Amino acid sequence: MTIPRPSRVTLPAAALAAMLAAGCGSTVAGTGVPAAGRTHVRLPLVTSLTVPGMASWAIVDMGGSSAAYENFWQLITRRAGTARWTLATPPGVADNGGLVAASLGGAALVTGVDPSQDLRFSPLATTRDSGAHWTPGLLPAGLASVPSALAAGTGGRLLALTDRGLAEMSAPGGASWARLTSLASLAATPAGRSCGLRSLTAAAFTPSGMPLLAGQCASRGVTGIFAYSGGGWRRAGPALPAALAQRRVSVLQLSTAGHRTIALLTAAAPGGAVSLIAAWANPGGRWALSAPLPLNGARVVSTAADPGAAARTTSTGTTSTGTTAAAAGTGTTSTGTTAAATGTAGAGQAAIPAASTVGVILSTGLADTIAGPASPWRQLPALPAHAAALVLGPGPLISALAAHGSVLTGWRLAAPAGSRAVAWTRTQVMKVPVPYGSSS
Amino acid sequence: MPGMNSGLNLGNPLLIAAFRSALLHQGIAALVILGVLALAWVSVREWRPAARGAGSAAGVAPDAEPSWRLLLRVGFGIIWIFDGLLQAQPSMVVGLPSRIIEPTAASSPAWVQHVVNWAGTAWSYHPVQAAAAAVWIQVGIGCWLLAARRGRWSQLAGLASVGWGLTVWVFGEAFGGIFAPGLTWLFGAPGAALLYAAAGGLIAMPRRYWHARWLGRGMLAVLGLFFAGMAVLQAWPGRGFWQGHLGHQAGTLTGMVQSMAQTPQPGFLAAWVRGFGSFTAAHGFGVNLFAVIALALIGAALLSGRPALIRPTVIVMVLLCLADWVLIEDMGIFGGLGTDPNSMIPIALLVIAGYLALAPAPARAVAPDTVAVADTVAAADTVTVADTVTVASGAEPAAPAPGWRRRLSPGRLAAAFGSADARTVAAAWALAVTIIGVFPLAAAAASRSASTQIAQAIDGSAVALNYQAPGFRLTDQAGQPVSLAGLRGKVVLLTFLDPVCTSDCPLIAQEFRAADQLLGASRRNVELVAIAANPVYHAVADTRAFDQQEGLAGVPNWRFLTGPLPALRQVWHNYYVAAELAPAGGMVLHTDVAYVIDAAGHTRTELNFDPGPGTAASKSSFAAELTDAALKAMGRS
Repeated sequence: MTIPRPSRVTLPAAALAAMLAAGCGSTVAGTGVPAAGRTHVRLPLVTSLTVPGMASWAIVDMGGSSAAYENFWQLITRRAGTARWTLATPPGVADNGGLVAASLGGAALVTGVDPSQDLRFSPLATTRDSGAHWTPGLLPAGLASVPSALAAGTGGRLLALTDRGLAEMSAPGGASWARLTSLASLAATPAGRSCGLRSLTAAAFTPSGMPLLAGQCASRGVTGIFAYSGGGWRRAGPALPAALAQRRVSVLQLSTAGHRTIALLTAAAPGGAVSLIAAWANPGGRWALSAPLPLNGARVVSTAADPGAAARTTSTGTTSTGTTAAAAGTGTTSTGTTAAATGTAGAGQAAIPAASTVGVILSTGLADTIAGPASPWRQLPALPAHAAALVLGPGPLISALAAHGSVLTGWRLAAPAGSRAVAWTRTQVMKVPVPYGSSS
Repeated sequence: MPGMNSGLNLGNPLLIAAFRSALLHQGIAALVILGVLALAWVSVREWRPAARGAGSAAGVAPDAEPSWRLLLRVGFGIIWIFDGLLQAQPSMVVGLPSRIIEPTAASSPAWVQHVVNWAGTAWSYHPVQAAAAAVWIQVGIGCWLLAARRGRWSQLAGLASVGWGLTVWVFGEAFGGIFAPGLTWLFGAPGAALLYAAAGGLIAMPRRYWHARWLGRGMLAVLGLFFAGMAVLQAWPGRGFWQGHLGHQAGTLTGMVQSMAQTPQPGFLAAWVRGFGSFTAAHGFGVNLFAVIALALIGAALLSGRPALIRPTVIVMVLLCLADWVLIEDMGIFGGLGTDPNSMIPIALLVIAGYLALAPAPARAVAPDTVAVADTVAAADTVTVADTVTVASGAEPAAPAPGWRRRLSPGRLAAAFGSADARTVAAAWALAVTIIGVFPLAAAAASRSASTQIAQAIDGSAVALNYQAPGFRLTDQAGQPVSLAGLRGKVVLLTFLDPVCTSDCPLIAQEFRAADQLLGASRRNVELVAIAANPVYHAVADTRAFDQQEGLAGVPNWRFLTGPLPALRQVWHNYYVAAELAPAGGMVLHTDVAYVIDAAGHTRTELNFDPGPGTAASKSSFAAELTDAALKAMGRS
């Protein structure tokens, strides 16, 4: 078995605009592209991404109140083979509004700053050496407040969702930008109409370099993922099983990992109950779904992805083909989701779980991970206080970053010597020089 | 509400000093006017004894002023003067729009806020002039009411009270809060200033109505209707008045009383108010029931028109007003931002006046009616000794009045002035005092831009310089080379902006743009130049994006310059500008400064250009300061 070399991997920034500061938003579904004219910050979810053999990246919000512009988003990185996290936040612009990122492959990453206060466009920055040096760039529009607002494709092309409901694509290298489509235009296409597209919530490229856009559908039982090819848009998302036919689906997050595309979906039942579903697509575009994870009123506040694990997991064929995996959800759902919902599994597990490809932290303070479509959701042991980001990989390693004020604490899930039970172990405490007062 | 808050500190020393200076100078002007008027009056009377005689010869006493009018005129005269003195508190300069006007209108409908915002913004733009104007207008109206006992002067004083009362009621009291929830007589409905206007209207009534039989009944009927309506409102369920407390929250009345107790005031008074607040919290239902019954009975009694009922009712009303004034309204004058003693005193005066107006008119004197000269000093109605008309039974008809040109002849004017009595001269002086307030206020309201005092209060005064401006050669937003030498012949307004700044720089850019508009035709002699101040984001694309964002792309004399980092660093160094990276997601920290370079290339002015709170008033003020500096550099200040 060969492990496919990861090419372009988009940083999975969770697509729920949780409005943490305001405490609004009882649904998990992405709220789409906010209107232009920002007042208070609406943050994307905290995110993390592991690029196998290269680095792990995490984006966390630190500092004080976002209402007072005392919060500052930080990019944290841990190089492969090391245990230490370092601060890699791109310099030169205030990032009170949020930070999104997309992997360009290898040690390269492109970041975009969500505008805040009187700034209306989004400065970009690109690193090719894991954050040691940065090259500035520009998107002459404001990025949308969703975590998958920025995507990187072949040759360094970038795809961006703006806060005015537009999708802009750049030339290779990000030098110039041109409009690809808009919410209104996409919604008017046959594909968009069949979905009843309400908002755009995520952007990505397929492994072959096709632009992908995703959003929230008004129609039930339809997943709003669209691919651009041949000058037009077609639906490219997974078909939902019968059990989910009456649910309204939103795409929280979309990312391309290796030769796979990972999507994180929310499915809202008519009664209001919302479930989280992970979906994986193979290079041929066939999707496999996880079992639904009932959120029981909680919101997803952070997501994590390990594309290397995803590549290994999916390439060994442990997932079913196409949508059949969704049927597995009806069988394994009760086991996996029950465990996740009641927390009776995970805590005190005898062994570290197999490598997870997707992980989430919920607003209840619980964290769940899943290895693949045939796997159940596993609830992790209770997170450390102020845990903000989950980082998966490399391999079976699971880390957490806790942010409290200007102190960042790194944790690792491991079985202490002589014990079979896993627990969180503190690995690092970092004082971040948050520039309080500089934006007000 | 946008625009109303200047963002400045209540105790800003520069603005307070300017306010005190304005009051002092205007006070001196008022005294000078008084002195001039007094001197002229005495002089004319000495030079033209006939004028003095005319005054006394004309003197068969006119109708005596009825007691109700006397009460209103003197009572509200004193209140207006008191309000004027309250307006002289230092914190009024900055605090009135943001701490009084804005909160008052906050719970009113949007259209009310829109109306109020206009005045609040005008105040914010010229806080010193507005605050001083309010002092003199109110003191002037008060003195005018006291001085002018009868005749047109007195009527005009009443009308002035109506005008300014309504102005304050609309713009300062947000229509007395009648469109906001929670309206209650206990808190001052329908607004003190409306009561001032009502009193002024009664004072302004022609003499023939002074003793009208219907006047007293009408006044009391209107007041009775008002109290009856307030009783209904007080009794209305769901407004929080029936409960002393709602769970852990205070009821409406309790909350109001408790908040009034927090106002800085004498300790004994605070204790009374707090005590009443506790009582209300425990017995909210009873207190409100008492209020409802009292208001209803008072209203019914006043509406009945029966003197036997009205007299005790008036006494009860006055006592109730006093109790409310102390225990609920907390007298309204403490805390440094009290503008008036609230509504209870005025409403008590109106009720008493209505009662007094019920009294029958005095028997008229048989002596001939005379138009007293003292009543007709106003220019349009100037009546000289020769024009005194004495009409008695069977007297000869008077000669036709002279034309207006003859009336305005200096001789006639001097004679009329000399024959005026002291009260009339005092009334004329009071009018002058009022005008001392009105004219600067009107001029300020008509100004396009805010006072530069605001900018100076934030950043201090500009520094005058005179040295050769360091040259530079950079690239503008269109990719064209631009040098300072190439701009010779025009005044250059120079600043340093971070293209990806989130706060200060967009504000500064807007201030530059506003200054360009204020320059008008002179803008063709001015170049607005910004130099990039970010060591990372300084590409032409960045400056262009900034221009698009700020609407500067189409401004012909705007140039946003940038260049290679070493060149930028040299320019920053030459102009004493720091531009430093901040860690961990912070904005670049750079100096906020503006330079005015004259057409010969000499730096003439340096302005600290930290935009401060970035309110509409402060932005306008900085723009005005920059414009003034540019015009001065052009030699056209």
